[in-house]
Amino acid sequence: MSTADTRTPAPKPNLWTRVQVGSIEQLHIRLESLIVLFVLAAMMAVLSPFFLSVSNFMNILLATSTIGVLAIAATFVLSSGGLDLSLGSVMGLSGVVGAAVAVKMGMPTPVAVLACIGAGAAAGYVNGLIITRAFVPAFIVTLGMLGIARGLALVISDGRVIYGLPQAMVYLGQGRPFGIPMPVIIFIAAAVVMHIILAYTRYGRHTLAIGDNENAARTAGINVERHRLSLYTLSGGLAGLAGLLFATRINSGDPTAGITYELTAITAAIIGGTNLFGGRGSILGTLIGALIMGVLQNGLNLLAVQSYYQQMAIGAVLILAVFIDQWQLRKESRV
Amino acid sequence: MTEPKTKLTIGAAVAAALLVAAPVQAEGEYGILMKTLANPFWGAMGEGVEDGAKEAGVDYFMQAVESDQAAESQLNVCNTMLERQPVAMITAAINSTNLLPCLKSAQEAGIAVVDLDGNLDPAILDAEGIDITFRIGSDNVLAGAQGAEFMVGQLGADATGPVLVIEGLSGNITGQMRAEGFANRLGELAPGLEIVASLPGDWDRGKAANITNDILTRNPDLVGIFAANDGMALGAVESVFAAGKGGDVIIIGVDGNSDAVKSIQDGRLTASVAQLPYLVGKQAVENVKMAAEGGSVEDQIIVPTLVLTKEVMEAGTEPLLEFVK
Repeated sequence: MSTADTRTPAPKPNLWTRVQVGSIEQLHIRLESLIVLFVLAAMMAVLSPFFLSVSNFMNILLATSTIGVLAIAATFVLSSGGLDLSLGSVMGLSGVVGAAVAVKMGMPTPVAVLACIGAGAAAGYVNGLIITRAFVPAFIVTLGMLGIARGLALVISDGRVIYGLPQAMVYLGQGRPFGIPMPVIIFIAAAVVMHIILAYTRYGRHTLAIGDNENAARTAGINVERHRLSLYTLSGGLAGLAGLLFATRINSGDPTAGITYELTAITAAIIGGTNLFGGRGSILGTLIGALIMGVLQNGLNLLAVQSYYQQMAIGAVLILAVFIDQWQLRKESRV
Repeated sequence: MTEPKTKLTIGAAVAAALLVAAPVQAEGEYGILMKTLANPFWGAMGEGVEDGAKEAGVDYFMQAVESDQAAESQLNVCNTMLERQPVAMITAAINSTNLLPCLKSAQEAGIAVVDLDGNLDPAILDAEGIDITFRIGSDNVLAGAQGAEFMVGQLGADATGPVLVIEGLSGNITGQMRAEGFANRLGELAPGLEIVASLPGDWDRGKAANITNDILTRNPDLVGIFAANDGMALGAVESVFAAGKGGDVIIIGVDGNSDAVKSIQDGRLTASVAQLPYLVGKQAVENVKMAAEGGSVEDQIIVPTLVLTKEVMEAGTEPLLEFVK
């Protein structure tokens, strides 16, 4: 039978398959996740009269912005076969550093913003250095950093919220040019830039290659260690950006900000189609993953569903997303 | 001739109306935003809100987040709640700043804001230009001070000896206020009692038990322990009894939850400064209703705390006992 199969010309792919393949090849997103997002939104629109409004869409995007930026970081690290468990803590640390530099040291906004993102990048650089030079597994190093960064945030802030950022800094979190909240603009801009880097540049291709097969990547001449170091630094820097967005939104550095966010960020990346073990990932996919979670949460909030059920719903979506993914892969490998 | 006078009265009425801070519309839903319901304290407050709303005959919808550290989720939930256009937002903020943008939007939309449990900082609210209708809750500094007063009452003002303070979660304002209230009043009343350690127990019973063990090793003559909540106090109780010092160390918790009540009755925990969350929730709704109907409401409503001991419970004469849940 198998010989007969090879001789018959391949059947012309139907429209669905063509669109599916096209969306993966051109935009690097899986059509299924986009459909899930729209179905979910349609369901919420039917169930709640408050869902369909511009201000509510802004709510969803705003609520997704911090976690979305962290999810971009998670996508880069995961698709290279790495793991960053320190994202949430580094986000908290960065917010506190930014606020401390602005409020306690009285520095101008640009310095504080740089300090904020720089603190995140520095934490990420330390992660990367220990992972690539001391050969301690990423899980352990970033788990350690989770504790170190959180503790440091509490030490710097003396355990208290640092309130009262300069006006220009608050604008980054609360300003609304053209009615669009600044964190949403920054988040979307970051997503577009990072999508282009991951999908269309050599840096992105190397990232995926390392995640797919580290030895092959090394044989092909990629400096794996240097690349990983830069990935963890990037991841920390993005966590710093997330910290900046949240701190400027609430006009204060909160040392407890971002607790358990690393897991939420990883969840968003995986719902969006990133492979937990590397080799595959796309920022647009992650964006859709984060929005699926955002729409789900927002809709359930509007319906005043208890938060316990929301956690269950997101857990179920995560497992479902990976199930569909695996099912698709098996189907493809059988063809 | 009466015309100018009428104008004057209308003018005065308008002025008076403008003077009343943040008026509450009479009709519509009340949005109630709690921290988390996975805690008996907030559960009791939720019950109080529910009973208060039923008695007052108002509609409400209540939401909470998954943990009392989910600062950003609470802000997101708060923003979402505004979409339903409630007439009042009764909010128990996770910290003094996490809800600021939402409360600002609420104010712009003419929604009255109430600070449930007093987590907002008046100075920050002023700086942000947010005008709340009232704040309601127990005074955490006072609760700590009451604990110190009770300890000194038991040991005497000229007592000496080491005392351990177990704080809440690092960075949590409520735990800090209780611990500070205790430490300051203890220093005033009995300078001989020395706080040898003040450590964060992270609201965790096991962690508090470990801290107590460690300090008992260093200071075997420990005379008192103040824990910023009952769970941690109960952890301390276990360590003290395990070390064979049961009854020698005065152990005080804060909250008055049902486990603590049982332990006090069994003669293990010495006392708990009971907060009355049920009463806080109930009075919050009642006062919003009153404000909505044009009544005057105080800016700051302090719901009393009660030092719960075996004697107080056995006597049963304390009128507030009925609200200990």
